[in-house]
Amino acid sequence: MASRPDSTRTGPGRLLIAIYALFALSASARAAVQIATKFSHAPVAYLLSAFAGVVYILAAVTLAVGTPTARRIAVLSCSVELAGVLAVGTWSLADPATFPDATVWSSYGSGYGFVPLVLPVFGLLWLRRWTRRSRARTTTVTSAEDAGAAAGGDAAHGEGAAPGQGAEDVVADGRT
Amino acid sequence: MNGAVPTTIIVVGLALAGYALLMTALNRRMTVPLLAAVGVLEILLLVEVGIIVAKLASGEHPAGLATLIGYLIAAPLVPVAAAFWGLMERSRWGPAVIVVAGLAAAVLMVRLHQIWPVIHV
Repeated sequence: MASRPDSTRTGPGRLLIAIYALFALSASARAAVQIATKFSHAPVAYLLSAFAGVVYILAAVTLAVGTPTARRIAVLSCSVELAGVLAVGTWSLADPATFPDATVWSSYGSGYGFVPLVLPVFGLLWLRRWTRRSRARTTTVTSAEDAGAAAGGDAAHGEGAAPGQGAEDVVADGRT
Repeated sequence: MNGAVPTTIIVVGLALAGYALLMTALNRRMTVPLLAAVGVLEILLLVEVGIIVAKLASGEHPAGLATLIGYLIAAPLVPVAAAFWGLMERSRWGPAVIVVAGLAAAVLMVRLHQIWPVIHV
């Protein structure tokens, strides 16, 4: 079917959230272990890993929620993430002594196949599509969207959802 | 320790990722054969977790025991979470989630070997 997603969590967003969730888990769990067991070995690296983990969790959750407010927070976390991977990547190359142990963002995320560098770019592109769409349309609440809100809680935040897609929302959210 | 299971997991994980990527490219949704393949990967991961737990029970420990335990918990959860998350999607992006799970399983095996070299791959 043609991908006409009706929330930031559907379509390509589904994949983005999956990758964000994976990175949220790996970065935060790893940082938790490192801080708990050998914090003094590389405090800067471990704190940055923990920070990265928090940013990934925030991005995954806000993309999955997908309300206008959540999208704004998602844009912020993706931006912080992009700035972080660029700053920490440069810092780790310029001053390797500060990083006896690697972070997710060391060397621009080379230890993770540069996914940390690419991910925020795709995240921001995906979110930009939504910002544009909601600006382009006025907020017309259709009856289908009302039904979606009743059935799925947060199903019908897609101001971008066409009337025909509101009904799909209900079906999709019934399964969640 | 015999490296057959981790090696099989890497092969199955990569094959699953390739298969799911093909499904994404062909614009297919989640299918039963794809789910079955995820199930096979899940069983293999549980077997590997069992092997490692047995190894730990025999008294040997790696330096990064906490990290290893984290991996033992996370590894079997990834395919299950991916299957549910992918099933909720009614487009090609469902199989795309499975691509991530397949690749993650393969990477996890390599990382396990780095954490504890007795786990051969």
